[in-house]
Amino acid sequence: MSLTEQRSSAVSAALAKDRLGVPSVVFFVISAAAPLMVVAGSVPTAYAVTGVLGVPFAFLLLGAVFALFAVGYVTMARHVVNAGAFYAYAAQGLGRTQGVATAWVALLAYNALQLGLYGIIGSAAEPLLLDWFGGSPAWWVIALLAWALTGLLGLLRVDVNGKILSVLLVSEIAVVLVFDIGDLLNAAPGGIDFEGFTPGSLFVPGVGAALATVVAGFAGIESSVVFAEESKDRDRTVPIATYLGITIIAVLYAISAWAQTVPTGPDGIVKAAAQQGPTLVFNQAATHLGSTVSTIGSVLFVTSSIACMIAFHNTTARYIFALGRENVLPSVFGRTSARTAAPVAGSVLQTTLGLIVITVYAVSGLDPVTKLFFTFGAFGGLGLLTLLTITSIAVIVYFSRNPSGETAWRTRVAPALAILALCVIIGMTLINFDTVLGVAPGSAIRWILPGIFIVAIVFGLVWGRVLKATRPEVYANIGLGAQAVGGGSK
Amino acid sequence: MAEGDLKSPSLADDLFFVMHDNATGRTRLHLRLASLGLAGAVLGELMLAERLTMDVASGQDRLYVTTRDATGDPVTQNVLDQVAAEPQHPVLTWLLFFARTVYADVATRMIAANLLKPATRNLLKQQRPVPVDPNVAAWPQARLNLAVQRREPPVTRDCVLYGLFVATGGAQRVLWEHDPAFVATTLAMLPAPLQRLIVQTEVAVGQAVISRR
Repeated sequence: MSLTEQRSSAVSAALAKDRLGVPSVVFFVISAAAPLMVVAGSVPTAYAVTGVLGVPFAFLLLGAVFALFAVGYVTMARHVVNAGAFYAYAAQGLGRTQGVATAWVALLAYNALQLGLYGIIGSAAEPLLLDWFGGSPAWWVIALLAWALTGLLGLLRVDVNGKILSVLLVSEIAVVLVFDIGDLLNAAPGGIDFEGFTPGSLFVPGVGAALATVVAGFAGIESSVVFAEESKDRDRTVPIATYLGITIIAVLYAISAWAQTVPTGPDGIVKAAAQQGPTLVFNQAATHLGSTVSTIGSVLFVTSSIACMIAFHNTTARYIFALGRENVLPSVFGRTSARTAAPVAGSVLQTTLGLIVITVYAVSGLDPVTKLFFTFGAFGGLGLLTLLTITSIAVIVYFSRNPSGETAWRTRVAPALAILALCVIIGMTLINFDTVLGVAPGSAIRWILPGIFIVAIVFGLVWGRVLKATRPEVYANIGLGAQAVGGGSK
Repeated sequence: MAEGDLKSPSLADDLFFVMHDNATGRTRLHLRLASLGLAGAVLGELMLAERLTMDVASGQDRLYVTTRDATGDPVTQNVLDQVAAEPQHPVLTWLLFFARTVYADVATRMIAANLLKPATRNLLKQQRPVPVDPNVAAWPQARLNLAVQRREPPVTRDCVLYGLFVATGGAQRVLWEHDPAFVATTLAMLPAPLQRLIVQTEVAVGQAVISRR
């Protein structure tokens, strides 16, 4: 959209009517973060796998880091016509070759976050099936059902309807808060203990592992700038929605993660989480509030997981589509299903990967929650941290080359602080990656997984160079997304 | 652009025909993509008739009204008046703007021209307009199929029709063959403004696919 458009124009006014306001963007953003899934799935797993009690503090800390990152990020959104957010910014700020490398990292990270969800759906549905039918199939049967549903809806381009999404989201948050109150009213004999909110409880061995998981809980928040083009006021809607989304998520998760420790006491949470896994919060709720509330929570846990799967499936498929339109990926990925307007090839690729992962885990008998959901989540979280760091660097470089009248805080100071904080977090995550994976400290796999991102970056840089040398017309359009076919005119 | 008088069936009518089944009237495209294609076609009609042109040199792809003579047709007249009133918008904005209403407008125009039968009110039937004569409705698609099969670019107007149909993703689905090289050859024969119109329609379609709504 042209920035020279006059505000009083009848055309602009008519188009603006269909655009999104702050509440809609916040709903989209938070629902991709799937509150109940994080509170019931990620948090107990984080306690169990890492043994770190400072998870509540980690949510607040990362909320602050995300907010710091968002300062430069939303400023960039005002100046760069946005196609695929991260890699578009990297292409604009750091150069197109670096943009391709960033795109590969983003593809890997989002794929990991999406595929990991197939590991949690089984444990989400199992208690309900046991309760209702007295038995439950293996986790992978449930995962395959969810996989088929996600794949089908992806091809039909069924995004979960905005209204349904808001109802689900509000109910989820309500249930989480009710669970929290139940926990607080039933404190352990030792009384209510605020240890989880102290920095000392977080910065213990295993901190990096806890941080990596917590990051995955924030995944989705970065999608806010994708709505810049579709928002009512490009300059205000997106920043407000982003900060609001981060605040709501950080506070809600921190309180809920802490509330889970209240009935068991800080000493008992790790053991309880290890024994009960994702059923922990529902068991607590059943004891404190009765089985009806607990069942409502379980049902919402399932719907929340499925909504999150669909959201990530579609995000990734669209990402692949944008890259296909730019010819960075083979142009077949830029093809549209004319009947449903779905990015069909990207969607099929996602679905195929899902089947492979579920099959491999089912055949090898690995634990879906800790080895699939948690490992993929942490791996995706690590990728997300890398993306945030690259993007912050891109913001600084972009504004140093294109002075824009924005304040130094927005274009230099906040992004620089974000880079510093993110690098520390990435360092700590790498140090503890053995804990994340549950392997021996000397195991090779702990270096292989982060190494995949390095390979992706190197491969992306090489591919960018190849494109520059052999197909300059494609190279010129990197980072433009759907605009690429138009040569980027605005 | 001699064939550019606004006669019936027009470019948009032909695109409407190729986007729907010629016998049942069932749509072959997602409504959003079809609407963007039709918006491009109505602008294309006016460009072929030399009422509208596009300033491609500035890199902004803006539309300008060249002649304000009455078009004799409410759909194109409305488009022409709107563009004349607010010439500051790039063509992409116009495509999004006209896509909101163009589908119903073109269908109404085709019913008035006796090309489509109005949607029936029968509760048991799908309420959609059906072509009056399936042969008339099948003709544009046949012309495109023949052109692709012989690898002979058709007349200018059908080149635009083909380009817009490819831009919506419909040609790949409906025509017998899809040959990217032939698409490129065909489009290269068009004047620059019409090429940009088709490219911007493809951009709008891509954005619609990426959009979360």
